[in-house]
Amino acid sequence: MNTGQPNTKRIALNLSAVLVRWLLGAAFLYTGLSKALHPVDFLKLLRQYDLVQSYWLLNSIAAALPWFEIFCGLLLLAGIAVRGAALTLTAMLVPFTVLVFHRALAIQSALGIAFCAVKFDCGCGTGVEFICHKLLENFLLILMLGWLLAGHGRQFSLRFDLIKSKSR
Amino acid sequence: MKDDSIRSQAPGRRSAAKYVLLDAALVVVIGAVFAFAANRVSPRGLALTRNYFPAGTGRLVSATPPAAGLHNAAGTNSLPVDPTQLLAAELKEKGLQLVDGTQAVQLFHDPRFKQNTVVFVDARDEQHYREGHIPGAYEFDPYRPEKYFDTVLPVCQAAEQIVVYCNGGDCDDSETAAILLRDVGIPGPKLLVYGGGITEWTTNGLPVEIGGRNSGDVRKPGK
Repeated sequence: MNTGQPNTKRIALNLSAVLVRWLLGAAFLYTGLSKALHPVDFLKLLRQYDLVQSYWLLNSIAAALPWFEIFCGLLLLAGIAVRGAALTLTAMLVPFTVLVFHRALAIQSALGIAFCAVKFDCGCGTGVEFICHKLLENFLLILMLGWLLAGHGRQFSLRFDLIKSKSR
Repeated sequence: MKDDSIRSQAPGRRSAAKYVLLDAALVVVIGAVFAFAANRVSPRGLALTRNYFPAGTGRLVSATPPAAGLHNAAGTNSLPVDPTQLLAAELKEKGLQLVDGTQAVQLFHDPRFKQNTVVFVDARDEQHYREGHIPGAYEFDPYRPEKYFDTVLPVCQAAEQIVVYCNGGDCDDSETAAILLRDVGIPGPKLLVYGGGITEWTTNGLPVEIGGRNSGDVRKPGK
C-alpha cells in the first residue's frame, strides 16, 4: 500500500534537483550577461578589490569571467558536465564571497556603521545590494551547487558527466 | 558487514571524484577558450593590453556630499569626510584642477565657450551622453578613446580651458579622461575636472542637450 510513497518522494526530489540546476543555470547566465554587456563597468568594480597589480591581468579577469559564467550557466541549463561546472563555479564563488566579505568589513570599519547596513555593488551582476543579503544569496548558491556536485539533477540532462566513470 | 561495504565504496568514490575533477578541468579549459574568444568577438569586448586606469587605483569617496545621509546617488555608502577637499588634493597631485558647480556655470557662460576656446568634455559612455549632456560638450569615453581622439584632440589642443566631467559622485571617469588627455599632450593646467558632474548640473536645473553634439534639442531637466 505504501510502495508508491518512496517513489513519489524520489521523483519530487529528482525534479527539485532539475529545477535547482535550471535555476542556477539561469542565474549565472543572467549575471554573466549583465557583466558581459557592460565590461568596462565590471572592470571598474573589479578594480575596487585590488586583486592584482598588473592591468593586463585585471583586464583578462574582467574580460573572461562574465563569458565564463555564461558558459557554465549554459552547461547547467543543458545538463552538460554538470558536476564539473558546479565544482568550477563553487571554486570561483567561494573565494569571491570571501573578497566581498573583506571589502564589506573595510567599508564598515571606515564608516563605523552596522555590518548589515553596508551596501555596495560587489560586481556580482546584481547591482548595489546590502551585504548581508548578498552573503546569504551566495551561501544559498554554494549550497545548491553542492547539491548538484553530489550528483543530483540528472534528469533532462544531455550529458551529466562529460567523462564517464568505467564503474558506472 | 557495514564497515566492509563502506570500505568497498571508498575506491569507487575516489574514482568518481577523479572524474568530476577531470570534468571540471575540461570545463575550465573549454570555458576559458570560449570566454576569451567571446570577448574578442564582442563589440564591447575589453582590450587586454590597454591600461584603462592611467590614474591608478580607484577613488573611494564622492566628489559631492551625499544628498541624503549615508548614501550617495549610486546607493553605495559614502565616507564621512569632506570629499571635495580630498578630491581636490588628489587631482592636484596629478597636476589637475577641480572646479565646482559655480565655476562650471561661469565657464559655460564665458564668451570663450562660443568661440570653442573653453570646451566641455563629457567622459561618460555613448548611451549616457545621448541621454543628456551639457550643451555643446564633446563626447569622449576614456575607455574607448580611439573612437574620439580624431574629433576631441584638435579641439582640446586649440582650447584654453577644458572642463571634463562625468556623472559626479563616485565616478572618476572625468579624472581618467583628463589624465588620458594630459598623457597625449594636452597641458595639465588647461584641464579642469568638474567633480559634481552631470548629476549636480541637472540637480541645479541647468539645461542639457539630448542626442548628438549641437543636435539643437536642449531641455531643462524634467521637461
